[in-house]
Amino acid sequence: MQQMQQIPDVIKLIPLNFYVLFSSALFCIGIVGVLTRRNAIIIFMSVELMLNAVNLLLAAFSSYRADPSGQIFVFFIMAVAAAEVAVGLAIIVMIYRNIQTIDVGILNKLKW
Amino acid sequence: MNSIIALSLFGIANLFLGFLNNRKILLPATLAFVLVALGLNLADWNQEYLWFNNMLRTNNLSVNFASVILVATFLVVAVSRGFGDDEEHTHPAEYYAIMLFSVVGAIMMVTFENLIMLFVGLEILSVSMYILTGTDKRNLRSNEAALKYFLMGAFATGILLFGIALIYGATGSFNIHGIEALVLTAAGGSAPALLYIGIVMVIIGLLFKVSAAPFHFWTPDVYEGAPAIFTAFMSTVVKTAGFAALFRLLGGAFTGVYGTWIYILYFLTMLTLIIGNITAVYQQSFKRMLAYSSISHAGYLMLTATAKVAHTQSSILFYSLAYSVATISAFAVLMVVAETKESNAEKTNENFDIFNGLAKNNPLLAFVLTVSMLSLAGIPLTAGFWGKFFIFSDAFQRGIVVPLVVAVLMSAVGIYYYFKAIISAYFKEGDVPAIELKPIYKITLIVTTLLTIVLGIAPDLVKSIF
Amino acid sequence: MVSDFGYILLFIITAVTFCAVALGGAFMLRPNRPNIEKLSTYESGEAPDGNASVRFNIRFYIIALLFVLFDVELVFLFPWATVFGNKILIEETDGVWGWFALSEMFIFIGILTLGLAYAWVKGYLDWARPVVKNSNYQSKIPASAYEKINQKY
Repeated sequence: MQQMQQIPDVIKLIPLNFYVLFSSALFCIGIVGVLTRRNAIIIFMSVELMLNAVNLLLAAFSSYRADPSGQIFVFFIMAVAAAEVAVGLAIIVMIYRNIQTIDVGILNKLKW
Repeated sequence: MNSIIALSLFGIANLFLGFLNNRKILLPATLAFVLVALGLNLADWNQEYLWFNNMLRTNNLSVNFASVILVATFLVVAVSRGFGDDEEHTHPAEYYAIMLFSVVGAIMMVTFENLIMLFVGLEILSVSMYILTGTDKRNLRSNEAALKYFLMGAFATGILLFGIALIYGATGSFNIHGIEALVLTAAGGSAPALLYIGIVMVIIGLLFKVSAAPFHFWTPDVYEGAPAIFTAFMSTVVKTAGFAALFRLLGGAFTGVYGTWIYILYFLTMLTLIIGNITAVYQQSFKRMLAYSSISHAGYLMLTATAKVAHTQSSILFYSLAYSVATISAFAVLMVVAETKESNAEKTNENFDIFNGLAKNNPLLAFVLTVSMLSLAGIPLTAGFWGKFFIFSDAFQRGIVVPLVVAVLMSAVGIYYYFKAIISAYFKEGDVPAIELKPIYKITLIVTTLLTIVLGIAPDLVKSIF
Repeated sequence: MVSDFGYILLFIITAVTFCAVALGGAFMLRPNRPNIEKLSTYESGEAPDGNASVRFNIRFYIIALLFVLFDVELVFLFPWATVFGNKILIEETDGVWGWFALSEMFIFIGILTLGLAYAWVKGYLDWARPVVKNSNYQSKIPASAYEKINQKY
């Protein structure tokens, strides 16, 4: 219990700006990944990276403001992201069964 | 608010009804469930409540939006068909259950008081729609549409979430009234840059979901690839819920920093109107034309969603209702004609020429199609005319001239492509055999058409309630 | 005085140095005489067979999906656990709080269980066994001939 109390203090050892910059960097890596890669799984991983950048940012803000609601939001994001993973992977597997590839570029029945 | 709990339970009940091996029971059961939810929803009328520790708020505005959503759902469920024949590859119980679950998300999006609920509601709606888009499992187009919708949707969710996180960092609250108060104090002096970036990102995330330009690229593909019944659902329920959420944020929480987003939104409104209408002119596929038309209708709604004036909400509501009813009847006619042609082993492509000669043997269907097209185009004596009229007069009163002029010009362009469908139904040669309609289908079509005409003659019937 | 993150830096330096010294020392001392047997992948004494990046069967995937879904929902038990045993709340409400919190959690788990029951009834938890096809090959040699040979030897 004593250890649990200290976690916000440990988080506060690093200035808030560093967290914001780090999360923004992670988020931008995610965006670049989504926009440049052609493999559906890798695009999907980049989206997850974006969500995790958000989680980190929320946890940092939440500690700095001593307000637990930010961390509760993180729980919701994690649970919803899991549901999204399940649906997304199911869609990818469905496509793989039909055309044996997950390269988004192959899918050109409908124009972008 | 009990409608949310009821709908969730009904969805689970629907899943287990699927084990009964009696597909006939599903449609009436789902219709009854939606009606019960509508009743529970109306029970909240004229009461202002906060639910679940200030997570959701019900008031007349939210009851109205939820009612429009539930009515649209009822109509879509009523015209759903074609699930019953193919035993192995369709799962109607699951489709109806997922539709009910997604309505839960839509209602959460109109009643949210806390950004957590906005996010959860949006995701319940979106994830359900990803599944429904891909339900035609062996059709590669449906697969591709589902994947595209999923990747784009998840991307938009990421942007929305980052915006919410930044707003939380700047204001320290997820509650939209708390945010509103903090934004107002921040607007006077030195608001942190985080707040402005966050607000713009949240708006972008929501514009993605309502498919406004330049975030519309997924819309035509997804609408074309998804099974027609779910396209109808997507273009009505998702759009209404998305605009309700956008209106509640722009008209409530973000009004304090009006200056940061209003010009961006005017610009995007004009862009959406121009891209939606001009591109729709060149479409050969009726379904794709409806997709672009839904983009252009998003533009009209954006024109009025930017204001915090009391009568704006009634304009949005009226427009959503008129648009939903007309779109559902257009899709219903498309579905029934395409299905008949398919069962006659003809090649179908959902192009405009599928309606060639429709009026000869099916005067009712041709009439329904005509009324819905007239309503979407905004011709007088239909509900769509009054929808556009209210929106334009609101914009005129607020003095936003340039977007208004663009909107009026573009609605004139719209008449051209909506009339293409009417022309092929009445004046082109073709043979559509006489189509036998199931009673519920016929009744629904007559109801939607009558509703469009009645609202076109006496808009105050509904407008005074909103 | 070293700060908290200074300790972490020291830790990283120590770890890198330890690995470098141990592996580098061994590299310099040992004789280097490779052959095919030595270079092959060590697989608990078995001879390695096939490619490492084989595709897993689709049924693993469905089980994994179900696992992820039900596993992640448990994240909601953590915030619940912090208020469930809250002494002040329990004393204020004469113990009613505990029962209230417990029943709420059972409702939550119950809804999840309904989902699991649905997956179960649909048969997604069944391990799809390959169907063994019986051969319809009719041999010219009667079965008794084989039995005779078996009895003989």
